[in-house]
Amino acid sequence: MNSTLTSKVRDAFQRIVNYLSSEKGKNLFAYLFALLTLFLFGWFVVWRLPRSLVFQSILGSSSRVTFILEGMGLTVLVSLITLLGSMILGFIFYLLQKSSFKYFNALVDVFTEIIYGTPMIVMIVVMAFVIGPAFGNIERNFFGILGLILYMSPYMKNVFQSAISSITEEQYMAMDLFGFTSYQKYRYIILPQVARVLMPPLMNNFSIIIKGSALLHVISYPEMYQVFLEIQSKTYLFIETYFIMWVLYLSITIPLSQLTKFIERKWSL
Amino acid sequence: MKINIQNVSHTYDVEVLENVNIALDQYTAIGIIGVSGSGKSTLIRMMAGLEEPTSGNIEIDGIDVRDPEYRKHVGFVFQNHNLFPHLTLKRNITLILEKTRNMSPEEASEAADKYLDILHLHDQKEKKPAKVSGGQAQRASIARALSINPEIIFLDEPTSSLDPILTDEVLNAVEELRELGKQFVFVTHVMSFVKDFADYVIFMDKGKIIEHGKPSILDNPQTNELESFMSKVR
Repeated sequence: MNSTLTSKVRDAFQRIVNYLSSEKGKNLFAYLFALLTLFLFGWFVVWRLPRSLVFQSILGSSSRVTFILEGMGLTVLVSLITLLGSMILGFIFYLLQKSSFKYFNALVDVFTEIIYGTPMIVMIVVMAFVIGPAFGNIERNFFGILGLILYMSPYMKNVFQSAISSITEEQYMAMDLFGFTSYQKYRYIILPQVARVLMPPLMNNFSIIIKGSALLHVISYPEMYQVFLEIQSKTYLFIETYFIMWVLYLSITIPLSQLTKFIERKWSL
Repeated sequence: MKINIQNVSHTYDVEVLENVNIALDQYTAIGIIGVSGSGKSTLIRMMAGLEEPTSGNIEIDGIDVRDPEYRKHVGFVFQNHNLFPHLTLKRNITLILEKTRNMSPEEASEAADKYLDILHLHDQKEKKPAKVSGGQAQRASIARALSINPEIIFLDEPTSSLDPILTDEVLNAVEELRELGKQFVFVTHVMSFVKDFADYVIFMDKGKIIEHGKPSILDNPQTNELESFMSKVR
């Protein structure tokens, strides 16, 4: 009885040792140490702070937590709207670029060059405070978000371009040869491939949008960053608010990037 | 097969084919050879109905290759397998049979199995093209061409992207297909394969047919062009 237990323990121990010396186990170790390094750095930072941290007056107040969650919700919402808007606009730009009408090609080219040279935050303020008023200043938030959408659309255009060009001329020839109808070509061959190639860079852009949406605070749009600015002005707890804000952004973007990696693996050709 | 090519020219930026004429009867394996850019790929693609001649006519077994029905009965193997990359080897075949030949999924699956087995791919069926070797992918592509049960199979440099070992693997598989009673038109750089397999050879240079005849013409070239070509490929 006792000896079987001992041998079981020994077996289990052996299995753990085997796992840890395997490639996977080494990987696990590496990641644990990387996390530990960052944790120690964080601990050092907190230890060096001029005062100890107080989260009670922020996280203990249900009205503030609701306020934060609303801001977080708006961050996600505005990011989704920007994703959708820039996808539509990006696709239109892609079509204009492919058009045989030279004016359209030039228009896309000039626009792309301007966007590439503009910081995101400048795009937002210019849309909200320069271009918006020219249209009667209907809604500052609308123009600010439109700025974000416009900023992202050339990048989305590139995503479509590379995804669609990934289907070779010869594949189209094969589709013709076997006699697929247009619908069948798109349904069974073109779209499934485009979706796969499209997904990772699309998710990447989504992550850029989420991070970029924080800039909407310059027009006082009540997304997450703005919400924390307002909490700061009431509580004066600058360190804590920045800390919570950072963690909350990571809680959106890290799962997203992990999902992207998962999809990339699962859908690879 | 009966081949009748009359005054065929093809212009694509520059003239690729210039007034090509040839009429053949009774041959079952026709090899087209020549240096790159001699127009042989264009010729085989036009014979398969994949590209249209700028002028002239091509008839295969009495049917104009521009007839949309003709293309449905053509088996074509491309240079780089050209399988749909998001589908498994088997699905590459069943999708075509189900959607364009109105087969039930069961019939399609059975047919796909049959042809993949012929090409010795029984254990690779469920893999995607990127997960198999170039030779296996090219054999799957041959199985795909066979699956629509064509009378003639066109092969456009099927081994140009393969190393010598995989080239042999693919060409041996093609030779085995002769037992199926199929007819072949192929472009290749592998002269030993032409000599073994072809019963007629067409040599092209600069968009024209320079020499044509039984494979023995390769050993006894009548023109400077073929002689210099043969000295380079050997």
